[in-house]
Amino acid sequence: MNEEKNDHKKQDFEPKIVGFLCNWCSYAGADLAGTSRIQYPPNVRIIRVMCSGSVDSMYILRALLEGADGVFVGGCHPGDCHYIDGNYKARRRMVLLENILGTLGLEKERVWLRWISASEGQKFADTMKEMTESIRKLGPNPIAKYWNL
Amino acid sequence: MTQKVLKVKDNDVIGSTNDFLKHLLSSGKIQALLVPQSTPSKKVAYPVLIADPKKLHADIIAPILPVATATIVSKMTKVQSPSKPIAVVMRSCQIRALIELVKLNQASLTNIIIIGVDCPGTFPMNVYAEFQEKKTPTHFILETLSKKSAEAEQYLRSACQICKDPIPTHADIVLGFYGADIEKEIVVEAHTEAGKDLIKEIHLEEQKEGKNREKAIKEIREEKTKKRTMFLKEKEGIKGIEKIAEFFDKCVNCHNCRQACPICYCKECLFDSSVFDAEAYKFIRRAENKGLFKLPSDALLFQLGRMNHMILSCVECGLCEQACPNNIPLMDVFIPAAENAQKQFDYHPGKDKNEKVPMIVYREDEFLEVGEK
Repeated sequence: MNEEKNDHKKQDFEPKIVGFLCNWCSYAGADLAGTSRIQYPPNVRIIRVMCSGSVDSMYILRALLEGADGVFVGGCHPGDCHYIDGNYKARRRMVLLENILGTLGLEKERVWLRWISASEGQKFADTMKEMTESIRKLGPNPIAKYWNL
Repeated sequence: MTQKVLKVKDNDVIGSTNDFLKHLLSSGKIQALLVPQSTPSKKVAYPVLIADPKKLHADIIAPILPVATATIVSKMTKVQSPSKPIAVVMRSCQIRALIELVKLNQASLTNIIIIGVDCPGTFPMNVYAEFQEKKTPTHFILETLSKKSAEAEQYLRSACQICKDPIPTHADIVLGFYGADIEKEIVVEAHTEAGKDLIKEIHLEEQKEGKNREKAIKEIREEKTKKRTMFLKEKEGIKGIEKIAEFFDKCVNCHNCRQACPICYCKECLFDSSVFDAEAYKFIRRAENKGLFKLPSDALLFQLGRMNHMILSCVECGLCEQACPNNIPLMDVFIPAAENAQKQFDYHPGKDKNEKVPMIVYREDEFLEVGEK
């Protein structure tokens, strides 16, 4: 009975996702999704950054600790970075962050890195759908309850 | 490598090492020597830069590390390298840290001659100060080295108990205590040309039992690795937001750990900037987000952010833990984090000064699963 109730609760829950999108690819991809009138869940709050390589782990941690249910980082496909290699560095940073979150037993499944180009409006919309559903299944970020951090 | 032996006169280890250091300094080949020396109160032994051999009363065994020696060498060489060699006496963790600072362009090894000493470990600063009356901390360590008593072990800092490697690597000269009868002799190894040149004219005897040292080093490394593995296992339980929040509960955002850390070198840390000063309404908005929030805020963000920035270069010296005014056992989370992160990047801080730190390099064909489904 209780489980059913919880399931019901989880399905009602609307995840809050913070998305850091690179100016040159993923942000333009999101823009294309919009101008092409492709529907995607409104759960993501987009922040435009100049490069995925400029997203310090501090930004991601801050969002998680403040209670965001998920954090999305979008960059150009490998080899396509406007600044040559920012996305490769973003990838290393993401590996490190996930490693540390793993050691500390914090949910690294809430942090996503994806490559989305300016022409991939559909991929952006699909990715947002996929992430929203995945986070919905995970449930609300437990850190949101902790005010003593 | 040249291996020689320094004879200890009248059981006086400290006196004999000081004679050796005095010879180095008077040889004219180095212009100064950075070495730990007790303050007049004898409650601390700080690194001191000695120019006059007559003023040298060092204690290279004193089990204390009040500050990061690597940071001091960084301050001394970052602006301009010395024009004539300076010799610096360092423990293994500090040599590792110095190598990392060189990679991060925060120190230079030009005209720096590293004299590494075997490190049996150090006491926390306040524990060290208490022991001066009857038996000095140096005596405890001499007893450990001559295998007369293992009493010192209980006073060692936790970082030292599970030290990654107490034997200096990357030193020009190594003063070795392991594998020698310390009451009679100390091993002197010259690993580089600069090191060989420096000890050339000093009277040292030929090493006859080099195998002993090899064996002793192997033993001590194995012992420490065993303890480290046990420690890692013990601390596996500190996982999940509830435990992590509790662990850092006593953090008051003083940032002493960052100040003490040899790796944290940023001129202006984000957490000292005005980023966290804001209009009152932003504080209110933040309170409204969770209903309430603790002030000073962002202690956990500081800890995890700092960890993300320095953990790959963490040399596990434990100075962060020693600096904590509220006795948070920081090594309990930083050592497991360092172990896992460094393993993933197959990176060994302090191993090779020509290697690049992992966050500034990449390969196109690595971590392909990250960024894709």
